[in-house]
Amino acid sequence: MALNPTGPASARTPDPGGAPVQMLACGRDAALVWDHAEAGVLDEHERTCPHCRSTVSDRDSLGGLVGRMAAQPLRPPPNVLEQVMGAVVADLRPHDLLVLAPGASLSRPAAAAALRHIVDSMDGLRARSCRIEQERPAPDPAPDGTDATIALPLRVTVTVAARFGVDLASVTARVRQMMISAGERALGVPVARVDIHVVDVWDEREDR
Amino acid sequence: MSSPGSSAPPVRYHVADLAVARIAARRARAVPSVVGLRADLSQTLLGLAGTWLNPDPVPPDLRAEGVTVAVHGDRADVRVTVVTELGPNCRELALTVQGEVARAVREATGLDATVQVTIADIELP
Amino acid sequence: MHATTDTARADAPPGSAAPASAPAPPAAPATRAVLDETTLVVRAQEGDVHAFEELARRHQDALFRVAVRVLGNRADAEDALQEALLDAWKKIGAFRGEAAFSTWMYRIVTNRCTALLRRSRPTVPVSEIGDDALASPGSHSPERAAEMDAEMAALSRAVARLPEEQRTCWVLRELEGLGYAEIAEITGAGETAVRGRIHRARTALAEGMREWR
Repeated sequence: MALNPTGPASARTPDPGGAPVQMLACGRDAALVWDHAEAGVLDEHERTCPHCRSTVSDRDSLGGLVGRMAAQPLRPPPNVLEQVMGAVVADLRPHDLLVLAPGASLSRPAAAAALRHIVDSMDGLRARSCRIEQERPAPDPAPDGTDATIALPLRVTVTVAARFGVDLASVTARVRQMMISAGERALGVPVARVDIHVVDVWDEREDR
Repeated sequence: MSSPGSSAPPVRYHVADLAVARIAARRARAVPSVVGLRADLSQTLLGLAGTWLNPDPVPPDLRAEGVTVAVHGDRADVRVTVVTELGPNCRELALTVQGEVARAVREATGLDATVQVTIADIELP
Repeated sequence: MHATTDTARADAPPGSAAPASAPAPPAAPATRAVLDETTLVVRAQEGDVHAFEELARRHQDALFRVAVRVLGNRADAEDALQEALLDAWKKIGAFRGEAAFSTWMYRIVTNRCTALLRRSRPTVPVSEIGDDALASPGSHSPERAAEMDAEMAALSRAVARLPEEQRTCWVLRELEGLGYAEIAEITGAGETAVRGRIHRARTALAEGMREWR
């Protein structure tokens, strides 16, 4: 994402629409004259008219100083983000758990991140969404919670973005297979179903 | 409470929640593939401005890091939140932690522990 | 998002699809790729804290700059940033992508700044600018540096005297370099109102600095 720390002169639309803000005696809008001065697109009238020139000179006298203010480095101390992440990490919502066994559960976002990682590690693929649903327990559970032999199966829906030129059919077939095996080996939960949706493609060159 | 021995005068003692929590935390942390324990929300929020997301914080003395314990008579309800890494089987790990913590609590205190294990995160390579 | 190609859609009976001889996970060629913002947003919306952290890391400097300039001191700005990031985590599920993510984050931080100003207005005059925060390091001539710092401090004070709505718009435009339409989206004011506020701020600052020169 392009932020604009470099200051005000970049990427301006010189003439926004809308009502005039402050009419000068010459009939021009002072706000527009200011914008034109900033963008370096003053017209003949604006360069010569004394009313416009007064606005332009205000802008010129302020411009350098404001530019320096914009360029001053201002960074938050690292502990702000650290504290935020501490709270975020601990914000494990109770309903966001997969059941591994009686009394044992796994954070659903953590499981999703692990499965996304599998996609990410494949050349030319990148996981976006990864939704995991777990089958509900049977209404008539095994007595005494001893049904601990296997966890209830998962249904996984992933969306991926692929690099141009990637053979989608074969790659997604591999993703599917790896998710099933990772689910069983790394998570310890059977994966009953994997749906893969390719939602976007990207070009390596524009991907910096 | 416990009364060891059959004819000796009964020795009564109470194991505090915090003590059980420390025992549980120590044992859980020692299980291979457990990368760490994770404090729950109300702990992390101490020091953060305002109460966020948790209107009913549990008193801090009731838990060691990542572990919540409530002792009722000769039983202890233990909740452990752990972080692991990608690779080992999460379900097996959770069951191991469950068993090891229950055993450690029983051995150290005589309490019958019910252990709930949550894997909060899987560290990726 | 582009065409949805429903590529591999299959039901596998549990247990049958993963033989014990499943291959080891692939050696990741590039372990953590630099992810695009859409991907990070989607992941964060699904509760991926690492994706959220990366988003927060990318945007926090801009949010902090705005907060410092609007609030006038670093301490309050740190509070505003912290609250804004927590807000973002709580609300990210509602982000629909109708605006740029940065626009959405700017809106959250400016709302937090407004709330902080309302809370503290009676006791903390905003004009007490924390110039310490803004000291410029390493100038050649100490006198010239002092003079420039004094001029900058004068501008900071003039900015602090602006009405809050003007100040916010002015900061977004002149210091962050945003366009009128985006500022309108951030502040919820109409574009004409935004242009008016910015112009009034500009003339007030020009006036304020004229006497300084």
